[in-house]
Amino acid sequence: MRHPGRGPGALARRLALAAVAGLLLSVWAFPVLWALLTSFKSERDVLAYPPVWWFKPTLEHYREVLFGASSILPNLWSSVVVASVTTAGTMLLALPAAYAIARLRYPGRRASGFYVLATQMLPPVGLVIPYYLALQKAGALDTYGGMVLIYLTFSLPFAIWLMVSYFEDVPPEMEEAALLDHAGRLGAFWHVVLPQVRGGIAVTTVFVFLNAWNEFLFAVVLGGNRVRTVTVAMFNFISVEQTLWAKLAAGAMVAMAPVILIGLLAQRHIVKGLTVGAVKGGGRR
Amino acid sequence: MSAAAGRGGVTLQGAVKRHGELTVLHGIDLDIRPGEFFVLLGPSGSGKTTTLRVLAGLESISAGRVLMDGEDVTERDPGDRDVAMVFQSYALYPHMTVAQNIGFPLKMLGRPADQVAQAVTAAAQRVSIDHLLARRPGQLSGGQQQRVALARAIVRQPRLFLLDEPLSNLDARLRLETRVELKKLQRTLGVTTVYVTHDQEEAMTLADRIAVFMEGRIVQVGTPAEVFGRPTHAAVAGFIGTPPMNLLDGTWQGDAVAVDGGGRMAVGVHSAAPRAVRLGVRPGDLRLVAADGVPAEVELVEELGDSRIAVLHAGAQRLKLKSAEALPLAEGQAVHLAAEPRHTHLFDRASGERLN
Repeated sequence: MRHPGRGPGALARRLALAAVAGLLLSVWAFPVLWALLTSFKSERDVLAYPPVWWFKPTLEHYREVLFGASSILPNLWSSVVVASVTTAGTMLLALPAAYAIARLRYPGRRASGFYVLATQMLPPVGLVIPYYLALQKAGALDTYGGMVLIYLTFSLPFAIWLMVSYFEDVPPEMEEAALLDHAGRLGAFWHVVLPQVRGGIAVTTVFVFLNAWNEFLFAVVLGGNRVRTVTVAMFNFISVEQTLWAKLAAGAMVAMAPVILIGLLAQRHIVKGLTVGAVKGGGRR
Repeated sequence: MSAAAGRGGVTLQGAVKRHGELTVLHGIDLDIRPGEFFVLLGPSGSGKTTTLRVLAGLESISAGRVLMDGEDVTERDPGDRDVAMVFQSYALYPHMTVAQNIGFPLKMLGRPADQVAQAVTAAAQRVSIDHLLARRPGQLSGGQQQRVALARAIVRQPRLFLLDEPLSNLDARLRLETRVELKKLQRTLGVTTVYVTHDQEEAMTLADRIAVFMEGRIVQVGTPAEVFGRPTHAAVAGFIGTPPMNLLDGTWQGDAVAVDGGGRMAVGVHSAAPRAVRLGVRPGDLRLVAADGVPAEVELVEELGDSRIAVLHAGAQRLKLKSAEALPLAEGQAVHLAAEPRHTHLFDRASGERLN
């Protein structure tokens, strides 16, 4: 008697699957690993050709990007502020907005849903100049307020669009039960609806934060000396005279660390949230 | 009906519900007495669930009034009507334990925690789920979930229970058991109950009175015996009973109806002028006779163990005969059918209104 999942055939299958998965993973992992290696090399070893695999590792670049003259710590702080405030503001506004689009019947509901999605279709480059001019007129260039405001313009529609499908998956009777149970509209939203979309909130929060953290185009144009996020600071390692590859790599590693940390912490939610969205998204109504 | 003496009377006056062009309720009038077990019965899409949701305050009405204990509650929010509802899907809160589910309405009313805990235990004991209080709804069977929904409804002693097909998701055996318990529970609590179902057997066994819904209108209100024994409309006659009443097109003149396709049946009431009618006879009231009556041909005989049903056709019209005795009938056999005049029902062919 043969059991599925046992025997030599199954073993070969698993090996093949692992090989394919490894191959796909390496496409993503190789640049990261390469940057990791580079960050420990001396600038001379970085440019050696053929690439050297055995070298004397140095922590000098990390010392330099963290505590040296070109420290990116202030920039990390800028990024933390911009990304956190953007995320908090986005979620605060997106949750009630998405709930309204998902549930309430009001004139122009379909149109507003489409509008939210349409904003995602515009190429950001086309918006840089108007945003620049607007912020300039308002005196908000190179300020946290201005930057967060601009980030909200793209993170908010994205978050609303993502959250609407999660809200639509909550059975309406559950809210009606809460209404009859004296909870009121707000109480039903808070005690009954929000807990059902916890996974969706986790996924959306992480995506919004990562998008804001990784954003470069708006940051480089609308920021300046006061508000310079870490992506922009790293860009400055590439100059006309020379590119400091090892320093850039060390900076990239430092900038990536919080992102990877969040990814690991939220991994379970993200995987679950994404698959739920994939199976149920939009199919119900 | 001790606790609820005089409390829980509900009146609907001319309730109209429109969804755009579509009218779902064409003026519903209802008068539900305190402590009554009142069933809204009808096929799907007949407006019974909408009526229940109007009572709950989950649907607004386009015209008419809702009164509870004499007060106009038409514009009142669901939470301010002092009603509890059990949904067909139970609508439990999956992130809360059973105890939290049951206690939720009391918590929302701001009752102190020890009072809530006490009430939760009492309600859970009432429906025999006090051993499940720490579980979550996802860990319960369908029958247990249904009890949690019931406990959540009874915990705050509302003036009105609204039940929307609460048994339809249970398997047949459990449905029968729960039906009995539900009736006993309602008797003990004495709370006015409005119960929606499309299952006429459920309606007959549970109800003090039934309102039969057809296409957004109430066609008859009465006790189970009245609705079964004296349907006021052909639609009710054709809906109630297993199998429902036979309805034969014919012409009523003198003391008998001449059935289209041949044969006559005495009806015991007189019409001078010929009149187009539908003649109704319950399958159990039809008898086989040697001659005269309505000639018919046997299509097949269904054996039900304690009874048998013969499917027949008289001309182009199909009818059924139900008998407790053995039916020595063969397929294709020609028979003659008759019924006592007092067991015949006459309906106007055009309007469906009862004539006798």
